[in-house]
Amino acid sequence: MTQRQLAMVIDLNKCIGCQTCTLACKSQWTDRGGREFMYWNHVETRPGKGYPRDWQQAGGGWEGDKLKPGRLPRLAEDYGIPADFSFDATLFKEGEQPLRPTEPMQWGPNWDEDQGAGEFPNGYFFYLPRLCNHCTKPACLAACPRQAISKREEDGIVLIDQERCRGYRYCVAACPYKKIYFNPLAGRSEKCIFCYPRVEQGIPQACAYQCVGRARHVAYLDDREGAVHRLVNEWKVALPLHPEHGTQPNVYYVPPLSPATFDANGKPTGQPRIPDDYLVELFGPAVKQALAVLQREIARKEKGEASALMDMLIAYKHGDMFRLGRPPEQRS
Amino acid sequence: MKASRREFLKATGASSLSLMLGGTYSLRVLAQSQDAMVQHEYSGWENFHRNQWSWDKKTRGAHLINCTGACPHNVYTKDGVVLREEASKDIAPMPGLPEYNPRGCNKGVCGVDYQYGPHRIKYPLIRVGERGEGKWRRASWDEALEMIADKIVDTIKNEAPDCISVFSPVPAVAPVSFAAGHRFAHYIGAHTHTFFDWYGDHPTGQTQTCGVQGDSCETADWFNAKFIILWGANPSITRIPDAHYLSEASLNGTKIVSISPDYNASSIKADQWLHLKPGTDGALGMAMAYVIIKEKLFDVHGVKEQTDLPYLVRKDNQRFLRESDVVANGSTGKFYAWDAKTGKAVIMKGCWGDEPAQKGPPVAFMGRNTNTFPKGYIDLGDLDPALEGTYKIQLKDGSSVEVQPVFDILKTRIMKQNTPEAAAAVTGIPAKVIVQLAKDYATAKPAMIISGGGTNHWYYSDVLLRVFHLLSALTASEGKNGGGLQHYIGQWKPTFLPGLAALAWPETPAKQRFCQTTIWTYVHAEVNDEMLNSNIDTNKYLRKSIATKQMPLLPANGRDPKVFIVYRGNYLNQAKGQKYVLRNLWPKLELIVDINIRMDSTALYSDIVLPSAHWYEKTDLNVTMEHTSINMTEPAIKPMWESRTDWQIFQALAKKVEESARRKKFERYNDEQFKWVRDLTNLWNQMTMDGKLADDEAACQFILDTAPQTKGITMAMLRDKPQRFKGNWTSPMQEGVPYTPFKNYVVDKKPWPTLTGRQQFYFDHDTFFDMGLELPVYKGPINADKFPLRFNTPHSRYAIHSTFKDNVQMLRLQRGGPSVEMAPADAKARGINDNDWVEVWNDHGKVICRVKVRKGEQSGRVSMWHTPELYMDLIEGSSQSVCPVRISPTHLVGNYGHLVFRPNYYGPGGTQRDSRVEVKRYIGATPMPL
Repeated sequence: MTQRQLAMVIDLNKCIGCQTCTLACKSQWTDRGGREFMYWNHVETRPGKGYPRDWQQAGGGWEGDKLKPGRLPRLAEDYGIPADFSFDATLFKEGEQPLRPTEPMQWGPNWDEDQGAGEFPNGYFFYLPRLCNHCTKPACLAACPRQAISKREEDGIVLIDQERCRGYRYCVAACPYKKIYFNPLAGRSEKCIFCYPRVEQGIPQACAYQCVGRARHVAYLDDREGAVHRLVNEWKVALPLHPEHGTQPNVYYVPPLSPATFDANGKPTGQPRIPDDYLVELFGPAVKQALAVLQREIARKEKGEASALMDMLIAYKHGDMFRLGRPPEQRS
Repeated sequence: MKASRREFLKATGASSLSLMLGGTYSLRVLAQSQDAMVQHEYSGWENFHRNQWSWDKKTRGAHLINCTGACPHNVYTKDGVVLREEASKDIAPMPGLPEYNPRGCNKGVCGVDYQYGPHRIKYPLIRVGERGEGKWRRASWDEALEMIADKIVDTIKNEAPDCISVFSPVPAVAPVSFAAGHRFAHYIGAHTHTFFDWYGDHPTGQTQTCGVQGDSCETADWFNAKFIILWGANPSITRIPDAHYLSEASLNGTKIVSISPDYNASSIKADQWLHLKPGTDGALGMAMAYVIIKEKLFDVHGVKEQTDLPYLVRKDNQRFLRESDVVANGSTGKFYAWDAKTGKAVIMKGCWGDEPAQKGPPVAFMGRNTNTFPKGYIDLGDLDPALEGTYKIQLKDGSSVEVQPVFDILKTRIMKQNTPEAAAAVTGIPAKVIVQLAKDYATAKPAMIISGGGTNHWYYSDVLLRVFHLLSALTASEGKNGGGLQHYIGQWKPTFLPGLAALAWPETPAKQRFCQTTIWTYVHAEVNDEMLNSNIDTNKYLRKSIATKQMPLLPANGRDPKVFIVYRGNYLNQAKGQKYVLRNLWPKLELIVDINIRMDSTALYSDIVLPSAHWYEKTDLNVTMEHTSINMTEPAIKPMWESRTDWQIFQALAKKVEESARRKKFERYNDEQFKWVRDLTNLWNQMTMDGKLADDEAACQFILDTAPQTKGITMAMLRDKPQRFKGNWTSPMQEGVPYTPFKNYVVDKKPWPTLTGRQQFYFDHDTFFDMGLELPVYKGPINADKFPLRFNTPHSRYAIHSTFKDNVQMLRLQRGGPSVEMAPADAKARGINDNDWVEVWNDHGKVICRVKVRKGEQSGRVSMWHTPELYMDLIEGSSQSVCPVRISPTHLVGNYGHLVFRPNYYGPGGTQRDSRVEVKRYIGATPMPL
């Protein structure tokens, strides 16, 4: 086991689906060199097929002490070929060539944006940001025949050694979250590196530090002062995604509340429109208790009472969302 | 370690490369590999990513586009190449409130894409093909500027200076760039354009009610509300850096109700979503007023002191009772209320005809300057104005009339017309839900209405905003932190306006020609608005307004515009009535010049295109109404290719006009309208104040020094960190307190800058009577287009108007191009499947694009994210093809107290969303893969 585990909590009640994290990540790490199709971090609309398409049905993870079979997503059908355009022909050459993807898009990382499930006016959706979970029991690591995947002692970040990797893609199949991508140009598999160069300098990950919804907390799991420990272990309102895969993810989610449904006469019922069953499917049975705690604490605030939990989630000071155990000053 | 690796491979049989991993992988294997990991020595590859996250230069950056974010960023550069940007997170926090940091968005982290992207304009270009075709030849700066200068001089000489038209919007985001072309126009005599009204963003109803161009709280104040109605506002998409205040307020116990026809990214965060039928918001609002009045939930003192509702109206002619009716030589600008204590009609203090001892200078964004009235001036004191009853008044001719307070008239109408049951039938929201909403809103203190584009782009948006204001006034919510009507649409607030004006129009705005862009477009593009279908003759009102100089039309004397210089704006792409603009206006323009960082649609349809410096290649300021800190940008690198800053481009053009004027022996001309002998050979000195403002940064500092709101702030201070304004528009700046408007009137009790000196709900003006708009009332959406589906054009999370529409990263997170969204039932009824090509049309034009069938969209309406570039993946047209320019007659009023034309203060908008269309599956040839 690693000595310490850096972990993240994402508050889904604060995520607005703006994709700032997605592009903060992409513009830093993956906008070139065969990585165009890959989103180490992305935000998908739930319920939905997600990205890569149907990743929840693609297997991977653990069944007891055994790795479950997994399927490799296909580039065109499941990830979507990243649209490319001929700006020069459209803007700087004669003829009326529109700015059109050279290959029509049939699927993409956000194809079903804002769709969700259910029928108007009781439909529902919410946003789920996803990145590598830097699992405590990483299936990818176990699956790699090259031992190219390692988990760092000092912070538990799971990395693929780009010199050892030969692109066999067992890790891609083994990851139940399908958060490892094969770079066809480099011939290697790549994934979220939890921004270790930033973390090493005490700066939070690009996705977390730039999150304008102010939804992400980052701290070491064993840091009792950190928001992650308090939200995960004390308040128990932050839960891992699909815990049943057995990889022990280290990205946790505060589950989403939702507006009331309407009855047949158009009156609000007071019942949240996201069915509990669906949230149980994603976050396990503990989600019901987590939602109850959230509702209880919000009600306290409404009555003018104090709530340490709500204050932590509100995060008055941005700096309080992060405890990386190093000086927080940004390098200049 | 090597041994364990061999064992690992053997144990797993991995060499078979079977990717369907079976049970051969076990915890044992995991344990083995973890052992291996412990022993693993990090190899050099990790330095690859460490090197990727390194830089040798950090500069200030802002995104100088038509965005309300004003998000301070750092820009990181390495070896002379700009790598990326990141929110600088250094806006000072306020106690007890979540801080503004980080401010940014998905587009903001891709700002560098326009610097190095394929859209960039590198050199001056001169068109050699057809307009819009994209066939160019590279030109030198000298050649391009000489062509433009010669045409300018010829046009002044042979036509008139007002045949030259300069369009550049939104000064708040880049005031020096904005001022460049305006200052140039100012000295040559050309006219410039309004934009806030033209974009449909102007809260006309607020100007009517409050006598200000518009004002809203900074978004940190949302957190102070106890109850928030998101009314036609979708901040999760359109105000990305501010939306966190809603979720944080919610976690803090604030109730949020989202009123929107569709279930959108902000509705999902609300406690309750109310899906009314599109355009029926006014019916809901008036029914809420019904409940608030009927249940006596309104603030009686606030209504009596802060509104014109106690003012007396003559029953014989429906006009306000004026002093001139009662007293010989009385003022037409003084109005009465009935004092219940003394049983007498008394003149209310602070009306238009009431002058302060020391008259303040005119203020561009206010109907009149009431700042020099003493504090407490409109305090009621012992006065108790009656809200109801009929009274008899003796007029100066000895006759008598019956009078009645505005409130009484309004209440009678509301009780008759606006029952919750009636509203339920119109809106589709059950009466009981309306009643509860009204009670919740009226009893929560403070309560805030946040409105947005969804309620501001209708033909009758002005009266809809007056309905919102009525709710806000009844509950005495204005001028209080956490309360009020707060509208967010448009980037309209250059808080340092006096400094900006001094730079843009140095001889004062009074000596600058401004056209009203909506009227300019409507007339010169010869738009058919089809409003006769709704029995409204726009031209009748328009002709009168222009003839009586209530609103301007330029060029004067029936001339056509000849030269059009557009920069920092995408006029053509954003133009409502786009079909008419291309067909009728464009051919009148003999020279179209576009100055731009990228080839947008207006640039593509221009004759000469000049390359402008990117935001990270120049120095400028950047502010917004959404927070109160000033932000700046500075060069990370020198302007790329042959680009120059706008400030330098117009200086260079000024020099070329000097040369041309000399060459053509047309050095001076007499501008009769302003009695101004203009010297075309001294332009550069005028542009730069004899060289003192030649430098971009000097111009920035000039603005800061000249505006009282920023005096004392230096560029060096802004480089260090964003600095908060020292003053503001209608409330003082208070340390540690978020800005919210109207405290000058509500707290300090100075007169509101309206005709009545109060929040004004009654308009005794012919046009308002004609239109049935003398009081707040529900006016439904118009049905002038005889088509079945309403056409909604909301703003996208992936673009700021047209900017970033063509960004590759944004397109990959969508579907690669524009689409129209429709409800499953509407699609099914038309045999349309998701991602099909569809034809959307009405009598104004047609757009052919892809469709997205969206579950959250309400049946009976289609939505198209507004204004994709004309050259995007569309078979025909764009979102503006089916939108005409529709002018509301009440917006043309310019002769009624605080209702006068001033650029961006008051004027017609053009009603973006009151169009109707039909949609069918497109069965023509669809594009093949390229």
